[in-house]
Amino acid sequence: MPLKLALPGGQLARRVDALLARAGLAISGYSDGSRSYRPRLPERDGVLLRVFREKDIPIQIALGNYHLGICGLASVQEQLVRYPSEALVMLRPLPLPPVGLYVGAPQSEGPTTLADLAGRRGLRLVSEFPDLAEAFALAARLPAYRIFPVWGAAEVYPPEDADLAVVAAASEQEVIGHGLAPLHRLLAGPPWLIAHRGSLQEKDLSPLLGPLMALDGAGAPAGRADTLLELPAVPMAAGSAPAPRIASERVRVALPDGHQQPSAATILRNAGLSFAGYDEEGWVRRPTSSIAGLEVKVIRPHDMPQQVALGNFDLAISGRDCLLEHHCRFPASPVAEAVDLGGGQFDLSAVVSQDLPAESLAQAMAIWRAQGVGSIRVASEFPAIADDYARTHRFWRYQVIPIGGASEGFVPEDAELLIEGIQTGRTLAENNLKAIDRFLRSTTCLLAGRREVSGRKGKLLAQLIERFREAANQRAAGG
Amino acid sequence: MSDESQRCHGMRDLLPADMARFRRVEAAFRDACLAWGYQEVRTPTIEHLHLFTAAGTLAPHMLGRVYSFLDWDGWSGERVVLRPDATIGAARLFVEHMRGEKLAKLFYIQNVFRFAGGDEPREGWQCGVELLGDTQPRGDVELVLLGWRVLECLGVAPAEVRLSHPGIVRAVLAQAGLEPAEQVRAYDRVLDSDPSVVGELEGRLPDLGASLRLLLEGEGSGSAYLANVRNTFAGAVPGLAWPLDELTVVVKALGALGVRCRVATAAVGSFEYYTGPVFQFAAGGRPLGGGGRYDGLIALVGGPSLPASGFALDADKLASLLPSPEAGALERAVAVQPISEQSEVLAAAFATADALRGLGLWTEVALAIDQSSACRWRVTVGPKGEAMTFTLYDASTRRRRSFADLDGVTAALEVTAGAP
Repeated sequence: MPLKLALPGGQLARRVDALLARAGLAISGYSDGSRSYRPRLPERDGVLLRVFREKDIPIQIALGNYHLGICGLASVQEQLVRYPSEALVMLRPLPLPPVGLYVGAPQSEGPTTLADLAGRRGLRLVSEFPDLAEAFALAARLPAYRIFPVWGAAEVYPPEDADLAVVAAASEQEVIGHGLAPLHRLLAGPPWLIAHRGSLQEKDLSPLLGPLMALDGAGAPAGRADTLLELPAVPMAAGSAPAPRIASERVRVALPDGHQQPSAATILRNAGLSFAGYDEEGWVRRPTSSIAGLEVKVIRPHDMPQQVALGNFDLAISGRDCLLEHHCRFPASPVAEAVDLGGGQFDLSAVVSQDLPAESLAQAMAIWRAQGVGSIRVASEFPAIADDYARTHRFWRYQVIPIGGASEGFVPEDAELLIEGIQTGRTLAENNLKAIDRFLRSTTCLLAGRREVSGRKGKLLAQLIERFREAANQRAAGG
Repeated sequence: MSDESQRCHGMRDLLPADMARFRRVEAAFRDACLAWGYQEVRTPTIEHLHLFTAAGTLAPHMLGRVYSFLDWDGWSGERVVLRPDATIGAARLFVEHMRGEKLAKLFYIQNVFRFAGGDEPREGWQCGVELLGDTQPRGDVELVLLGWRVLECLGVAPAEVRLSHPGIVRAVLAQAGLEPAEQVRAYDRVLDSDPSVVGELEGRLPDLGASLRLLLEGEGSGSAYLANVRNTFAGAVPGLAWPLDELTVVVKALGALGVRCRVATAAVGSFEYYTGPVFQFAAGGRPLGGGGRYDGLIALVGGPSLPASGFALDADKLASLLPSPEAGALERAVAVQPISEQSEVLAAAFATADALRGLGLWTEVALAIDQSSACRWRVTVGPKGEAMTFTLYDASTRRRRSFADLDGVTAALEVTAGAP
């Protein structure tokens, strides 16, 4: 069995790449723009590298799928605080810039100290690290708190759409720069080298462990995982009544960041809408509108259906895949597709390894059954859709592995099947994968709440929906 | 089918013998509660998580092990939980349906769910009692005595009761000069059995005289031990006086009633909500359940400020201590065997079984031709000319008698059934 190292993708990849080179482990195909999730370590046989989204690495290590991993401290603690596991060993902090995780409140009219939180009922916490946010809420004894996990942009939610945000930042100044007042630092530190305990006990990891442990400038000495998390102690206080939330008189629109942003900007232009700070060239978190009574925020498309369901936003430009994921999880949720905007087309598909001699799901299942696969592992960024797919296709026994990205690297070693969006198929081909069932055409769509909105706000809302509908019709007609 | 169990970790199947023992526990508990004037209630398996996260309900180490999730309509972020503790649900029930009442005496038999590692059980059954109203100290005495009587009825012996009081730990924390926030954290560490906390507190209490371990980790017998604790520590920690007073009343009353009490001054249990005397039932060193006073809980779940107390017995553990169901139960059991598959014969067999059940006999129809039976009595039903014939066999005497009609069989068995 090869020696397996899990590496982080995203922003950390470039720094880790340079660090590994410093350790004499120069890698090809890692942070150089490659679409492959399997970089190589030339001249070192028996070493297998895989790129994951950071948050997925501690899970892979705890499961024993990988022997060693590198990822941020917050990702490790997010895993350990929910699933304390002896199997995951924190070996050492790496000489890379530290990152902290802060609890931030709105800078105006928000709590200014932790003591101000004591006994406050119904606080809404938003975070990319929901289990750490929950650990904070429990330790601070917040009564009837609510945690809203988001895919990103947590800092933009307070004050309208959350009371507190738990955000990663390099410093308190960065938190303040996001428009938040830092109340508490939950942790701070550089990324860590982590290992699977069983592998440490039984497998010679020295080809990687030696160079990585020999790196100098490591910063703080290794500590116990539970001492790295700084949970608050807040005096007990009787729970206050939840503060009533007054519905906004303005129409609130959520626009997407990330790869959906350019097409959303085009859609807005076609609908005759322009917002300062949001166009094909770029965006800010709070673009401004010249239309009276209209307010705009930029958040992740994955998070939009829930935000519309909650009534935080009246309209959102998202993908049908995100809406389906939300409805698979919450079938009665009061959010619906108001207009099919047509852009950003791709197919949600069942994906397997090209080496599997199957052209359909039925053939694949027959092969897995013949091979004695006891439990079919289904990896997806859309776990509720994947779960629904497995149920409706009568998988005999299955595990859904929720992942945060870099999904193409999971098959075949760590999953039999992916539920994945496919646009051109090029990334699939580069990772030796193929689609065997394209089951949903996803396009960009306008989401709206199912609740009735009256008065001036209702009128503006109807006008906006109509503008989007006309633009979509023109597009469909080839205009 | 592979040999691997398809059961979830920590979950248990109860086989017929297990269920028989379990039902004996339920029956003994239920009969005792009804006889003492308590009324049965049942709360939902799923509750809102916030009931349990509010300060003063469950300790953090328990909250970290609950089964909580977003329901199918949980887009609002409101998490729900599989009931990890029955008392808090009962308190909510009282607040929602009975809040005007000055006194409520409730009991229930319910399951609770808490994560545990490995093969440790993750589902448990509680036989619980809640006494809501201003009953101190009578209620404390009654609850311990009620639990004790249930154990006696089940023949669980030798049983003992360990008593303690959370006010003792809180008095020490206050005397140590900890800020309120530090007191909360230190109290949680005591609940979590963190061994380092005693040493830290000792450093803050140089004038204590005797070792703090003696107070927080020691235990002794009844009121004599309480008197010793008072003499040793109350001078240095004046806040100990009231919890020791409360404990002394309860311990003395129970001692006079023949209940063996051990006093473990600081064994405060796993729940933050306890405010007064806390007790634990045990047999052979094995804990079987416990309870205590929780005067702040009703207000914490949104009700009035109302004192309350309660206890729960661990039904699974109690059942495991009981002997296997007695074969003697089969003394009053009858197997009816039709000798053919003819409809008239089957009808006669089932009619015979109905009649015998009417006498109060446990009666089964043999559903397979060669079915063996452990029943004392066997009635064979078969055709004889136009009519039916009935043969009664007594396995204890090996005596066989034939009857031309069903009345003959029922008359012969009436004595066994105890019918007039």
